[in-house]
Order: sequence, then structure tokens, then C-alpha cells
Amino acid sequence: MLKNSSTLRWLSALAVYAFLYLPLLMVILYSFNASRLGTQWTGFTLHWYRVLLQDDEMLRAAYHSLLIATVASAVSTVLGTLAGLALYRYKLRLLPFLIVAPLAIPELLSGVSLLIFFVLINFTLGLASIMLAHIAFCISFVAIVVRSRLAGMDPALVEAARDLGATPWQSFRYITLPLIAPGILAGGLLAFTLSIDDFVITFFTAGVGASTLPLRIYTMIKISVTPEVNAVSTILVLLTLVIVAIASRLAPSALRSGA
Amino acid sequence: MKLFGRRLLAIALLFLALVAQAADTLHFYNWNNYIAPQTLERFKAECGCRVSYDTYGSNDELLAKLAAGAKGYDLLVPTGNAVESLIKQNALQPIDKRKLPHLHNLDPLYLNAAFDKGNVYSIPYAYTITLIGYNEERMRALGIPTDTWAAIFEPGYLARIKGRVTVLDDQRELMAAALKYLGYSINDQDEAHWRQAAQVIMRAKPYWAAFNNTSYIRLLSTGDIWLAHGYSNDMFQAAEVARQAKRGIKIGYAVPREGAVLALDSMVIPRDAPRPDLALRFIDFMLEGRNSAELTNLIGSGNPNRAAMPFVEPAIASNRGIFPDKQVSARLEQLRDLDRRKRRLMSRLWTEIKLR
Amino acid sequence: MRNRERLTRWLIAGPPWLYLLLLFVAPTLIMVAASFGWPGVEGGLAPLWYRDAQGLHFDLTLDNYINLAATSLYGWLFLKSLVYAVVVTLCCLILAYPLALTIARSPKRWRDALLLLVILPFWSNFLVRIYAWMIILGPQAGLSRLVNGALGWLHMAPVALLFSPFAVLIGLVYVHLPFMILPLYANLEKHDPALLDAARDLGARPWQCFWQITFPLSRPGVIAGAILVFIPALGAFAVPDILGGTRGIMIGNVIKMQFLEARDWPFGSALSIVMTLLVLALTAAAAWAARRAGGRIYA
Repeated sequence: MLKNSSTLRWLSALAVYAFLYLPLLMVILYSFNASRLGTQWTGFTLHWYRVLLQDDEMLRAAYHSLLIATVASAVSTVLGTLAGLALYRYKLRLLPFLIVAPLAIPELLSGVSLLIFFVLINFTLGLASIMLAHIAFCISFVAIVVRSRLAGMDPALVEAARDLGATPWQSFRYITLPLIAPGILAGGLLAFTLSIDDFVITFFTAGVGASTLPLRIYTMIKISVTPEVNAVSTILVLLTLVIVAIASRLAPSALRSGA
Repeated sequence: MKLFGRRLLAIALLFLALVAQAADTLHFYNWNNYIAPQTLERFKAECGCRVSYDTYGSNDELLAKLAAGAKGYDLLVPTGNAVESLIKQNALQPIDKRKLPHLHNLDPLYLNAAFDKGNVYSIPYAYTITLIGYNEERMRALGIPTDTWAAIFEPGYLARIKGRVTVLDDQRELMAAALKYLGYSINDQDEAHWRQAAQVIMRAKPYWAAFNNTSYIRLLSTGDIWLAHGYSNDMFQAAEVARQAKRGIKIGYAVPREGAVLALDSMVIPRDAPRPDLALRFIDFMLEGRNSAELTNLIGSGNPNRAAMPFVEPAIASNRGIFPDKQVSARLEQLRDLDRRKRRLMSRLWTEIKLR
Repeated sequence: MRNRERLTRWLIAGPPWLYLLLLFVAPTLIMVAASFGWPGVEGGLAPLWYRDAQGLHFDLTLDNYINLAATSLYGWLFLKSLVYAVVVTLCCLILAYPLALTIARSPKRWRDALLLLVILPFWSNFLVRIYAWMIILGPQAGLSRLVNGALGWLHMAPVALLFSPFAVLIGLVYVHLPFMILPLYANLEKHDPALLDAARDLGARPWQCFWQITFPLSRPGVIAGAILVFIPALGAFAVPDILGGTRGIMIGNVIKMQFLEARDWPFGSALSIVMTLLVLALTAAAAWAARRAGGRIYA
């Protein structure tokens, strides 16, 4: 009886995987399509990848996306870890709300309010404004992941260290930090992922010359779609796969599901 | 590791900043796919300068970005009603026509537009006409006239092509088409007329597949859609794509006899432009026939430059959907900007149209 | 020692607190203020106050909220978006649960790879994947022909898969599915298999095991996933824009419209505030339900 229900579960899981992968496979497949239209297969070609490599605007946008994602995830990882620690150690009233509230507000509204904010304080929109905006929403995600990791940590370890004479800083540095490191890394990866594909908030806070990949694709899609866009997406997936593969080699425990 | 990374980043950012400050850079903010790559290259070579190129997808995006304080652009290419808005906001600087020796190349028909009398602030760049594109065979087989707005508004015709029609997702454009269909001017601001137009739209809406600004090019050329309300240069591309796909689909396009919207895009210089001199050089460069013809040949946009005509491909130059004859020209109008009360009313009507 | 504690607390909690205050609370408060302002003559936001000989004057109005309430139009819009968001959340739950359960019960060494497989598609660009759905659901594509062929066989009228509420739902479910899968999985993974063993030993059938043990225990995960899906789905505008037909508009589209075409930032802000209050009220209700279900939202 159990076998049957487990088979059923596996089958339905497979169906959902198929649902998730169908569009992606189409995107990848059609990046090699000789036809400009995405509907009929007319021949295999690397033409669009060549076009992509010569497309300065697209490459610049890709560079911006990577730069913003790196900076935003780095800063938000630091701030988010601090927030996670604070949430775990201290009974604060305002910080929990500040962490959860940005998640409760649709991105559209965050983007719009940041736009009005930047305009009102006369802050010129540009790469910096995008970074600031991304950090703001990434902190929450990192904080929650780190806090969750801390909650799963055995407090007895820290107590033992203190009993043996370690200062608070030492017990943090040598006990807590290594234990929550997977959580911090996971949070950082999550922040990176969210930042690199963010469209809505970036749309409202981007400025002069600060195009990112999602924005560039959006403008292209508005005027003229070519499979070049598919090529970009395929490369993005491959690139991120490579990064994750490297990360899992460097810090194998970081991506353990317990994070 | 983190500290090293941060230092590296700081250095990278500093380098970026320095590079960005390199002298002689024209900051050009243009529509996407609205200049031929070789034209830009030739300009860079001729003027010995660099071009920092940004793109927007709609006038609203341009205006919103500028309203949000975007600075540092030397050259913009807004459509007439957006130019009007920018002039009212005192955001543009007058153009020194003495620095434009090729100005006389322009067709007087496209000068002195209502939004900028005397072309104080704007120089025409290119234009498109909003019209109807269609699958020739299907329309012939179903007996639907394609030279009138009735094709997208009359339930009698729409019933035969239900679910195979798209219209522009642009409140001004669609209302303009409805107003023309009713026999009014596209700039008619009478509220009663607007409500009439909204009624026409809502009556036809159940037969339409979608409001769409972009995908209709593809949808027409694959045969998913048989009739589309869209821009002349997009229809040109759809026809090209359909021809190359060799699936037997022929796309035709025509300006409806009631009249249509002419969207004239003009080059303007913001008041706070860092290098207006480079902008003027570019404007004059684009006033040369050969340069402005390259855009027309690339995307099938209309060209207000008479000196460009010898360089335009014959198939495009003779296309009445792109270069209308005098009779049709007389029925084309340009959209004017609306004041904020009217914008609010239009926005409310549009939300109603979309929701109900 | 006390002061040292206080200082440490400020050093740890201070930076994120300050950052969020500046870049989350301040913009939100400004948006609240903006919702009481007038649109600028040429769009945007008119100054909320000005100084003259008599001193400081405020130029505020309730006009935006009056506009909002004056017609049932926006009420219907909110309702429609709510319904869509609820349906999307339910669909995500139904699709995500078997998958999350399968991964959680799979051998330990497979779990990471399986999770990665879930997230992988979402590293390509969001818009491009939505456009892929346009092709998949197109009238001449395989799926449409299959469905309409079957309908024709049953003597029913053909339906359009693309440009319909169905397409919007598919698109929204597709985009938000991982946000349901991950929290569910995080919760299910922690379940003690001994509970299920015990239940089976006592003679419970698989179905009973699920409904009476697994599902109740997973409630915090379900609620976390529901929140992570419901809220973004409510404010979605790209998917309805691209896949929706002539009636696919949602509240997100209208708000975006105010900031672009209409250039009416105060009205857009007012709509945003009302929507935020709605969402906060619903989230608070969900959090309360989560507490009653016995578990933190983010445990």
C-alpha cells in the first residue's frame, strides 16, 4: 500500500518537474533556432550567440546585473546576518517587524515608494540607487535564513565555551560563526539570485546608463524580440550552474538542505 | 576574504567612475532599436567621440525617468506629445539652428508641428503611422475591408475573426482610433466624445484576443493573429519576417481612410545636457540623407528627410503604409499632450475599459 | 558589564535597523504622504508644502482617496486580484505539496540535487520564460490543438488558451511555485519519521497518516509558503500584461499605469497604500493562524 502511494507521489513530483522545465527547455532549444520567430524550427545555428557577444548594450547590462548582485548580496549578507543574530539573541520589538514587513509588501509598491523617496531627497538614480534598493529587500531574506539556522543550533555549545573561559567575541567567532556559516552562505546565495533577476524594483529605481539584464530584456521584448534573448537566458542558467557547482565544491556543507 | 572582496570592488568602482568621466561622450537616450548600428559607428568615427547609449521602450517610461530626476543625457528622441510635455516643464534647451547646415533637408510637411511651433526645441528624426496590419489571405477570404477602422470596431466584421485580433495596449492610441472611427479628431477633449469612444471599444472588446504592443509582430507572422492595430514600422518587420519564414503568410498594412495617428519623433536637447555641442553635431549628422536613410531601411520607419529618399530602398520608398501619399497625409494627425485633469479622466476610462 | 551589553546590542542590531529605517520605513512614510498630495502639472508629484511670506503651507488633499472610493471600479479590481491571488496560492499548494513531500522523503544524498533542480529554471530570465508560455499556449501550438481537438470531439466550442484568465493563472503559478516548494520542504524535512512509523504500527492507512499527522505538522510551512506566494501574486503586473487577454488586468497593472501613462503619482500612491493595508491585514491574520497552529512562520 505504501509503495503505491509513494509511486503516486513520485509520478506527481515528476509531473511538476516537467511543468517547471517545459518553458526553460523551450527557451534553451530556441536559442539555437535559425528562425527569428520562436515558433518553427528552421535549423540549428549559433548565430544568436554571436550576435549576443557583439551586443555591447546587452553585455553592459549583464555586467551591471552581476555588479549589482555582487555588491547587494555582499552588503545584505552582512546586514542580514547581524539582523538574524539580533533577532535570535535579543527581544526586540521593532526589528522583527522591520524584517518581515518588506516581505509583506509587493515589490511593485517597494519600487514605487523608493522611486518617490529618491526623487524627494534629490538622490540621482543610477547604479547606486538600484544597489540600495536591492540591499533593502535582500536583508530580510538573509535575516530569516540566518535566524532559522541559529534556532537550530544547540545553545549548549556556546555555554560550554563560555564555561571554559571564552569571551563573548571568541565564542561567537569560533563556535557560532562556523556553525551558522552555511546559513550565511545560503542567505547570500539567495540574495544574489533575487538580485540578479529582479525586474520590478530595478525598473523603478534604475537611472542613467544603469541598465540591468532584466531591464534590457524588457525593453527588447517591447520592441523586437529575437532569439538573442533566449541565448542570454541560456547563458545565465549555465553561468549560475557553474557558480553553484564551484560554491558547493568550496563549501560542501553550505548548501545542505538544513540551511 | 570578505575584506579583500570589498577592496577589489572599491577599486573596480573607482576605475569605472574614471572611465565614465572620459571626455567627449555623447549621452544618447533613444528608443530601443531606433538607430542602425553602422550609423552610430560612423558618427563615432567622424566626430572622434564616444557614445553612451541608453534605451527606453515608451514615452511614458522616458517621462517618468526624467520626472524621477534622471540627469546627464545630451539627446533624447521623444514623440510629439512627450516633447510638448517637456517644453511645458521647461526641460529642454533651444536648438541653435546655425549649427545645423543640413537643416534644409527636412520636408516642410513635418516642420512647425503644433507641439513646437518654429521648431525651437525639436528637430524631426523619424515617424511612424498607427494603422492596421493584416493577414492578406484571411481578410480576402472573409471579405473584411482593411482600409477602415471598422475592421477592428464593427461587431459585424469582428464576429468572423473573433479571437484573432489584437489592438495596441496604449490608452491614447486606442482612444484615438475609436475617435477617428466616430469621425472626431484624435485630440478631441470633449468628455462626451471620450465616453462614446470608450463605448465603441467596450463593444468590440469581447472579440479581441488581447491588448498588445509588441508581440503582434510575431503573432501576425506566424498566423496566430489575423488582424492587428499597430505601428507601420512594426508591420514592415512583420511582413519581412513572414516573407523570410516562407510559410505562405503575407502581411499587408494600410492607413484607414478615416485617418490615423502620426507619431513624429524628434531630437531634443535637455536643458542640463553636459555636452549640447556633441548633441548638435549628432543632429546635423542625422540630417544628412545617407545617415537617416539607414534607419528607414533597417526598420521601415517613415523619414521626414527629403535628402534621404535617394538612399531608401525602392520597396520601402514606394510603400504607402510607410510613406503615405498626399491624400492620406492630409488625414493624419499628431497626438497632443493632456493636462492632468484630462489624464486622470483618461486613466479612469482606460481602467474601466480594461476591467469590465 | 551592562553598558558593554548595551553597546554590543547596538552594534549588532543597529546597522540593519538603521538601514531598514532609512530605506524602507522612510520611503513608505513618504508614499503615505504622497497619497495626500496633488499630481504635478506635468505629472509626478507636486510639492507637498511651500513657504511664502506667511510661513509654511501644506498643499494636501483627500482627493485621491475620494477618487478611489467614488467608483466601484477599484473595489472590483481589488476583489478580482484577491481572487486570482487566492486561486494561484491554492494551485501552488496542490502542485508543490507532492513535490516537497517527495524530496523530503527521498534519500538524503539526493535531496540537494532535487532542490537545485527546482530552483534551476529560475536562474534564467523571468520575462523570457513568460514569453515561452506565450508560445506553448499559442493557438497553433500542440497543446492548444490537443485541447481543442478533444473539445471538438465532445462537441464543445473551442477555447483560447492564450490571452485568457487561464493563461494568467498558469503564468502566475509557474512563477511562484518555488516559493511554495521551498518553505514546505524546509518544514517537511524536519518531520520525525518515527511518528509515521508509530501510526502505521497502530494500523493507520496512508491517507490517514497524511491528513492526521503530516499535514497538520506542516501547517507552518504551508502558511509560510502561502504568504510568499499570495503577496507577490497580488501585486503582479508583468504576467497579466503579457499573458492576459483583454480582461486580464489586475491591481498591479493599474498602479503601474498611474506611475507611467497617467503620471499621477499621488493616485498611484493612494492605491498602493490601500493595497498595502489590505495585504498587512491578511498577513496579520495568517500570522495569527500560524501561531495558533503552533509554530513560528520562519522556524
